[in-house]
Amino acid sequence: MRRILLLLAFVLLLASMWMALTLGQITPVKRNTLYAHVPSSVCALLCFVVVLVGSIGYLYSAKPTWDLIAAASAEVGALFATMLNVTGMIFSRAEWNIWWTPSPRLITSAILWFLYVVYLILRASLPRSQHLRARVCAVFGIIAFLDVPMVFISARFMPDIHRPSFSFDSSWQTAALVLSMAAIALLAAVLIWLRTDLLKNTAKLEKESFC
Amino acid sequence: MKYFWLSFKAIFIKDIVAELRAKQVLPTMIVLGMLIVWILRIASEASSVSTTVIGPVALWIALLFAGLLAQERSFAIEQQQDCIYALLLAPVDAGTIYLAKLFVNVVMLCIFEIIIIPVVFLSFPLSVQNRWLSLIAVLMLGNIGISSVGTLFSAVVQLTRTRGSLLSIIVLVILAPMMIPATFALLTLFGVIGAQVTGSGTLAFVGSFNAAVGYMTAFDAIFVVACWLLFGFAIKE
Repeated sequence: MRRILLLLAFVLLLASMWMALTLGQITPVKRNTLYAHVPSSVCALLCFVVVLVGSIGYLYSAKPTWDLIAAASAEVGALFATMLNVTGMIFSRAEWNIWWTPSPRLITSAILWFLYVVYLILRASLPRSQHLRARVCAVFGIIAFLDVPMVFISARFMPDIHRPSFSFDSSWQTAALVLSMAAIALLAAVLIWLRTDLLKNTAKLEKESFC
Repeated sequence: MKYFWLSFKAIFIKDIVAELRAKQVLPTMIVLGMLIVWILRIASEASSVSTTVIGPVALWIALLFAGLLAQERSFAIEQQQDCIYALLLAPVDAGTIYLAKLFVNVVMLCIFEIIIIPVVFLSFPLSVQNRWLSLIAVLMLGNIGISSVGTLFSAVVQLTRTRGSLLSIIVLVILAPMMIPATFALLTLFGVIGAQVTGSGTLAFVGSFNAAVGYMTAFDAIFVVACWLLFGFAIKE
């Protein structure tokens, strides 16, 4: 099942890439970064929602699975936040000739990345006794999520160098964006699933080696 | 309610008395703050414009780092001889412990500010144009914001290997959005930028002084309430 989904995600990725480079091509070519940038920004934000849900779920029920879901989606979210910032910087350099500027949206995207990275550092530096680490990470996940609405608001409503939305010339371009959105969202979901299982097995292994 | 005040007062007085007797962290905070201010003063000699810009920034950075020292201490002293277990065993609500510790940290930062603000004014050619009340309000909001997150995670990081350094990245990353209106408010108060900023930059994102104070109040309220609610989970053994 998982293999099929992973394969499907890759096929969708290839298809969206093909469509973005042929029928849905945006001129000038450098603006095609958008097809990687927008989906990864959406995924980076959604992964934090999963972190929040996992954290609340853990504090509510004390089941380790919730904590592992939160940890896995923090890892995947860190990946997509990195991609969001890197593609954004490449685009910004090509379009406005600067790598980075302190505009609200760029700052808040950087904050999003830092939140994920600090979550992972906090997780790595806590002792491995499961309950303690899970509880502390859950508390951090919830408090850190309070910053996320601000990232979202700044991306949509504030005056900025960065455009709030893109107007497309043809429906092929919209189709290419939707396709890449679907591909990357599916990839993120499968990755979270894979990582959760892997973390679960690691925890099991550690428990057995203690006994 | 009466019981809440009683326990709140007990923890608060315990911490303040312990600090006044041991003089563990307040002198360190003050010296660190002075050093930050003076080092930045040397850097600002490059031009007269940067002197007025770096002044408020120096104040703000000194406040942040001194705050981190105070917060790190607030639960580090409980680790000595396992005082934390006595505190947890006492029939006191976890939220009350948090609020009392938060209040201690805010008071420590206030004492620190009473000393560091004259130092900033001596080092940099700054003036607040009779807006002392606004300055005190902004600094108080800053104190509460910095202490709210720090007090919660101070209890948590005692269990980690890296302690203080971990606390600093946690607090700074969570407070990062609050830094934007806070910096705006300080820069406006010292007359570095006008009361209204338009355009597309980060400062225009805040807009005006009143909006900055509004944002800071909102952040304080959200963080204090969230940390107060989650503190019980953070220290549960």
